Amino acid sequence: METLPFKHQMAAHCESGAVTSLLNNAGLDITEPMVFGISSGIFFGYFHKMKSFTFPTFIVRNKPGSMRSNLAKRLGIKFHTEKFRSHEDGMRRLDELLEKKIPVAVQVDFFYMDYLPEWERVHINVHFIVVVGRKGSKYIVSDSYFPKLVELESESLRKARFAGGSMSPKGFLFYPESIPKNIDYRQAIIKGTKKTCFYMLKIPIPFLGIKGIRKFAKKIVLWPSLARDTEHLSHEIMKINVLLEDQGTGGAGFRFMYATFLQQASGMLNNYEWSKLSKEMMEIGDGWREISLFASRIGKNRDLGQDRMKELGAMLAGRAAAEERFFKRLKKSL
Amino acid sequence: MKEKDGYIDCPQQQVILYVEKEDGTYTPIQTGSYITKNYLDDYELKRKHLEESLKKQVLAGEVSPVYYFMVLEELTLSELAARAGIRKGKVKKHLEPGYFKSLQQETLQAYADVFNINVQELLQLSTAPPDDPTKLNPEA
Repeated sequence: METLPFKHQMAAHCESGAVTSLLNNAGLDITEPMVFGISSGIFFGYFHKMKSFTFPTFIVRNKPGSMRSNLAKRLGIKFHTEKFRSHEDGMRRLDELLEKKIPVAVQVDFFYMDYLPEWERVHINVHFIVVVGRKGSKYIVSDSYFPKLVELESESLRKARFAGGSMSPKGFLFYPESIPKNIDYRQAIIKGTKKTCFYMLKIPIPFLGIKGIRKFAKKIVLWPSLARDTEHLSHEIMKINVLLEDQGTGGAGFRFMYATFLQQASGMLNNYEWSKLSKEMMEIGDGWREISLFASRIGKNRDLGQDRMKELGAMLAGRAAAEERFFKRLKKSL
Repeated sequence: MKEKDGYIDCPQQQVILYVEKEDGTYTPIQTGSYITKNYLDDYELKRKHLEESLKKQVLAGEVSPVYYFMVLEELTLSELAARAGIRKGKVKKHLEPGYFKSLQQETLQAYADVFNINVQELLQLSTAPPDDPTKLNPEA
């Protein structure tokens, strides 16, 4: 089998990237920030204690899988989706689709993407890649986090698609089945934004949305007591930078990409208020970026006393206040 | 973030960053990872220390190689159990060297798959001389 004609593009995030590039290749002209904004991708959640994490952690996006499903609902796009009980069925189905010349997005455990450097690869079951061909025992893969198409051993792909644990992929795959001719972007943007405001401001769970940022700001001072030793603490503190900047966010925990969405949306909706809001979001993002840089610096210097933790907490509390103001204004503008 | 501040020279790890161009429009650029460029050596140093201290525990007979990789790959007990398809209570026992020694090939393979290594590498860990650095690195 040959590689399908597929225009590979890097993206900020794997899920919005996979969805965007599948749609672009199917002929729909849509940008990643637009996909991200309409699908209410921006979010925050802090998890102090979870049985699947060894240390407190946070998320900056909505639930994995929901970028695709929200977008489909709001734009009227139909995606074909499938999950599998058996590895053999899941791999066979993928081959059949490739035979039919259909590029397919699959959900995988990031850990087995062996074309990426070792330090990046952690066990996360919610990575998305697009498979665009097969050559002998290898699959040709379009991964938003890699500059060009790459090869992945079929055994690695199998392990990755059928990894167990929390949010296990179960061989999940999808591809667009039909895209409507006339899309009402205005409605979709407004619906997506309404939901985003609800998630950030109103969701009645104490560690999600703005409340999640506040919780993080409060709990960070407890981190030193949870770490094995200074190096472990340094590692976890520096991971704040990785989660905000490197793990597919477009910078500043998706805040820069969200600003871009607002700018594009303000043009489409002819909404001057939103162009001001997009600037504000960019500045909020700059504040997150400062947190990233601060965390990596104190981590590297092992400068991790209570004062520094409090400083970090205050910076986070600052983001919570800024985002609360921002999302209230955004909600009002709808 | 301004475009001119966004460029980071780090060919090993490329990322997409959204920035503000001079004309005020926001756009994605392909650039490098800040933390990898500046602090990768620090990450590797800490990982090496962690590997060494875990290795010591394994050789002293305090913990099993399963424990070694579980901690190194930042998996919790329940996460490892779910991934390997082995009951939590059993995994807990397999973290002890005594139980680990009696493991069947099949069980070892299940763990090795999760850690993306081969069974040999898992077994070698408790026998390698401490001064042999190649044996400390699971990817070697």
